[in-house]
Amino acid sequence: MASAVATETNPPDLRGPTAPFPLATLGTGAAALVLAALGSLAIQAGYAVGGGPLSAGCVAVHLTPQIEGSLGVCHIVEAIESPAETMVLWVAIALGILALAAGLAAYRRQDTKRKRSHAVTGAILGVQAVQLAALLLWVRSGRPDRFAFHFLNFERLKGYFSLFLTGAKNTVLLAFVGEVGGIALGLLLAILVISKSRAVRAPARAYINFFRGTPLIWQLSTGYFLFLFGLNMRLSAFNVAMIIFALNTGAYASEVFRAGIQSIERGQMEAARSLGMSYLQALRYAVVPQAVRRVIPPLMNEFVILIKDTSLIVVLGLLRSQLDLYNVAREGYSDTFNATFFTATALGYLAITLPLIRLVNVVEKRLRSGLVGVTGAP
Amino acid sequence: MQIMQAMNIDEAGNVDRSMGTDGSLIRLDGVHKWFGTNHVLKGIDLDVATSEVMVIIGPSGSGKSTLLRCVNLLEEPTEGRVWFEGADITDIRTDLNKVRTHIGIVFQAYNLFPHRTAIDNITLALTKVLKVNQEEARERAREQLRHVGLEHKADAHPGQLSGGQQQRVAIARALAMRPRLMLFDEVTSALDPELIGEVLSVMKQLADEGMTMIVVTHEMGFAREAGTRLVFLDEGMIVEEGNPREILAKPRTERARNFLSKVL
Repeated sequence: MASAVATETNPPDLRGPTAPFPLATLGTGAAALVLAALGSLAIQAGYAVGGGPLSAGCVAVHLTPQIEGSLGVCHIVEAIESPAETMVLWVAIALGILALAAGLAAYRRQDTKRKRSHAVTGAILGVQAVQLAALLLWVRSGRPDRFAFHFLNFERLKGYFSLFLTGAKNTVLLAFVGEVGGIALGLLLAILVISKSRAVRAPARAYINFFRGTPLIWQLSTGYFLFLFGLNMRLSAFNVAMIIFALNTGAYASEVFRAGIQSIERGQMEAARSLGMSYLQALRYAVVPQAVRRVIPPLMNEFVILIKDTSLIVVLGLLRSQLDLYNVAREGYSDTFNATFFTATALGYLAITLPLIRLVNVVEKRLRSGLVGVTGAP
Repeated sequence: MQIMQAMNIDEAGNVDRSMGTDGSLIRLDGVHKWFGTNHVLKGIDLDVATSEVMVIIGPSGSGKSTLLRCVNLLEEPTEGRVWFEGADITDIRTDLNKVRTHIGIVFQAYNLFPHRTAIDNITLALTKVLKVNQEEARERAREQLRHVGLEHKADAHPGQLSGGQQQRVAIARALAMRPRLMLFDEVTSALDPELIGEVLSVMKQLADEGMTMIVVTHEMGFAREAGTRLVFLDEGMIVEEGNPREILAKPRTERARNFLSKVL
């Protein structure tokens, strides 16, 4: 009887027993992913360094000694088709499923948030391991030899390193000049486009809409001939490209600036005007300096986009020394009929853009936390 | 006569104060303001003489802020005229930028420039508008910061200051222009209660020094102690006007009585 009374007065304990092994779940999931990723890489490295001569299997798929770089390609193919890789992938899948099952079963019944997070993370890593291993198994069931032959024959890149460096330099140069010119033009257009006067607004708006509404590749090709024939100016294709990139970026940057300027509270303009400043003075000293800080991250994103869009100078006939990263790859491809140049170019773009993307994120975070005294918030 | 007065602004927009003044510093003459179909001010006539401290009170939405902003033409009256030192500043030939250097305004939301330090907030208009050289501008700015008791915060950014301190910098920024009229638009409404006093005491000091002021506020204590005249505004019209102590103690109209019974 006494215990019945107790159950009525005290609410039942809903917590249930505490589940075991949160850390083991995390470990299993991590091990599965590490095995699938680093294990496969290690096997590749092993074959690349210690692989033997061309195997009969490779020769059978036309990786003959006469083909330049066939041994390297053969090692890649052999590694992914090796029994060691089979074992690595299936063990990774098994461990991944185990981590997923353990994590799902136990995460609700952990007694601290930290342990729950371990269990959940273990399950997530397990899923990722299964996905990666399944993808590699899929590739293996296809024709990895053909793909590797065309895209991973790194031997063929020999002798092109300095051309790639030139390409990287030209890509950065084109994008940088285009971005700087575009920012100057964009700020001017933004000030015109927020004018109260329709006569001022309309031409700026028309310009922006035109450059945003037509393809950049068309602007480059037609612009080149406009300078050459229309204006009878002897500009090199490279210089024309820089000008067109600036004109195009100006249209996009102006929209970024416009949004930035309009995001500054109306009180700032009023405070400046009430101190006797003219409209343009108020913009210049009070509004624009604040707007510029706010739009730094989106402008840097525009820069990242422009870096990749410089590849469109493909439509202009350029000298070998003027080629950008993408066109260096085309040059290499037409020399050798091997697409590994495009793989190298992608890596080149990443080498430039990844640090920039990282920088954008850091700047954005600092702006948001107000560390640089931009928002005015303490 | 009015046309003559409208003309006494020279080419450069300088107001000639030698003629046409009848002792009033600012005069509103039949001012109406519409926002779209919303009739906010319904014929305001107002005269403020030099060294007067006019306090404007009234319920929210009564048009107090709009009225104040019509004085330095941050809002353009839809109808009616505004005279400053005998010149019609609603005449479109008026150089408003010039006129505004003589009329300081302090806002409810401070509106300091967050990217500039306290002292740079003050020197900006001195150097760019009044063309004072940098050294003299800094000297004048420091003098005004001392005036509001914030000389030690000269190099702080607005984000590093409390609301009361920011508002005092805003007052210093307006005063550094050496205005002949100061407008205050609910300057303590955004402040925490314990910070209101420091701002009000700066304003009282200013009133004691003889500054002409128009003050929109909900601080009835300030109205009673520092105000020389009180205007009660309701639904865009001046309902009552007179000695602050008398009106606050004994409002003559039902509407004023009603309003005061809620806020006192």
